[in-house]
Amino acid sequence: MRGPLCATAALLPAVSGGRLAAHREHCLRCQADDARRRSLARELAALGGEVAPAPATLHGAVMARLGPQDAADPRRVLAARALARRVAAAGVGLALLAALVAGLARRRARATA
Amino acid sequence: MGPGGVQRDEQELLARARAGDGEAFGELVWRYQDTVHTLALRLVGADLAADVAQEAFLRAWRALPRFRGEAAFSTWLHRITVNTAWTLRRRDRRHPTQPLEGDFEDTGPRPERAGELAEARAGLLRAIGTLNPGQRAVLVLRDIYGWSGAEVARELGITETAVKVRLHRARARLRSRLEGER
Repeated sequence: MRGPLCATAALLPAVSGGRLAAHREHCLRCQADDARRRSLARELAALGGEVAPAPATLHGAVMARLGPQDAADPRRVLAARALARRVAAAGVGLALLAALVAGLARRRARATA
Repeated sequence: MGPGGVQRDEQELLARARAGDGEAFGELVWRYQDTVHTLALRLVGADLAADVAQEAFLRAWRALPRFRGEAAFSTWLHRITVNTAWTLRRRDRRHPTQPLEGDFEDTGPRPERAGELAEARAGLLRAIGTLNPGQRAVLVLRDIYGWSGAEVARELGITETAVKVRLHRARARLRSRLEGER
């Protein structure tokens, strides 16, 4: 049966001190889990060294579609768009405020007339 | 030509490509197409990999005038590939997660263990193919390519905590799938 320390050790594989370390030292289940974890990490890292040859058509397809280059920083474009949005929102807000003030002024003028 | 020569050669190609020389860029595409395609294959599977690789090179070409050489060209290109894979995957939600099949080069295991290793590798690729796109991207970049948690978070636009959570779930799922198979 898997105890709470086994479950904790599985959740925190990087923690290597204190009670967990002592538990791992004598728990065969945790040792087997650790071994499987290390083996999986090795297998995954080994995949990083493999290379899948690109399709023979890739180079030609890329070269056929080369368009103009763009030196403009997209972050500036995004910042300009965000600024434009804020300015537009502020404009709408001001227009609403002006309409409200005008409405109130009209109502007051009618009341005093 | 020694490594220094290759480096100088690449710097020269980059300078020419930045100035709009398509032929120089074509040479860079020759050099990096296999690694870019492999990364795309790991991230999105065989179905979309060629599209991702092609789009990544086109984005790189367009953005080259802004490449300042702060990172290695290969690192920059890989970042573009990751972003492109992420964008195309989102755009192409019709595609379910694809298995990681591909025509990989034989890296030469000893003949007596080749069959066993090939089977283990195929099982691992199948298991990776069952992960959802978010878990798969994190696992591929962190555990296969060895990127740091901060790099993965930055490139995928998620928090480092989200990287940790996805990685934990992805690894747990892989282990469970592999134990089921073995």
